Amino acid sequence: MRQAGTYSGILSGGISGKTGPHLLPLARIKKIMKKSGEAVKMISGESPIVFSKACELFIKELTQRSWMVTMQSKRRTLNKEDVASAVMATDLFDFLVNLVSESPLEMDTSKYS
Amino acid sequence: MKQILPPKAKISKEAKETMQECVSEFISFVISEASYKCKREMRKTINGDDVCWALATLGFDDYASPLIRYLYKYRELEGDKAAANQDKGIADHDSNIEDSNLDRY
Repeated sequence: MRQAGTYSGILSGGISGKTGPHLLPLARIKKIMKKSGEAVKMISGESPIVFSKACELFIKELTQRSWMVTMQSKRRTLNKEDVASAVMATDLFDFLVNLVSESPLEMDTSKYS
Repeated sequence: MKQILPPKAKISKEAKETMQECVSEFISFVISEASYKCKREMRKTINGDDVCWALATLGFDDYASPLIRYLYKYRELEGDKAAANQDKGIADHDSNIEDSNLDRY
């Protein structure tokens, strides 16, 4: 089960200088990449750097879309539900639907009986 | 996240945690596709091109184009760095040779 604390470094920024010009810590990205599956055995040195940039773009897009939902509700605090709404409204983020749903979608088991 | 939002905007702790989970899922999602490509091509190492290809395949075309340019720039810089280090290494070697020549005479 994922714990938020484990990944808090992802958004902590690269101010320490250890991450170089990247906003996201490369070591954490590498860890997540390797945890993705047994098939992922070797990663080139440039892959986490490309991913770091890709994640920046991803965060930017999801944040902007979530903020639009927040503004529509005339609030100034972006909350979890705004992120969920942005995910539901964007086809590209379909892979996140189960992650952001509070209750898992009920499966129609009648067809399997 | 804060850099993208207006100065007075606030982000709830839960929203940050949700975003972190979404990013992790994004990485896993893309890397699985890139890994599948490498397996098909009988390669063991996932490189930057595989990541860009996976992004484009999964619909993140808007990310793929700037990332390909970013990747090539990175490779150029790394190439320059390596060349500079090599030159420095040769220069040091040359100076050592000169010193040793002086010692002989």
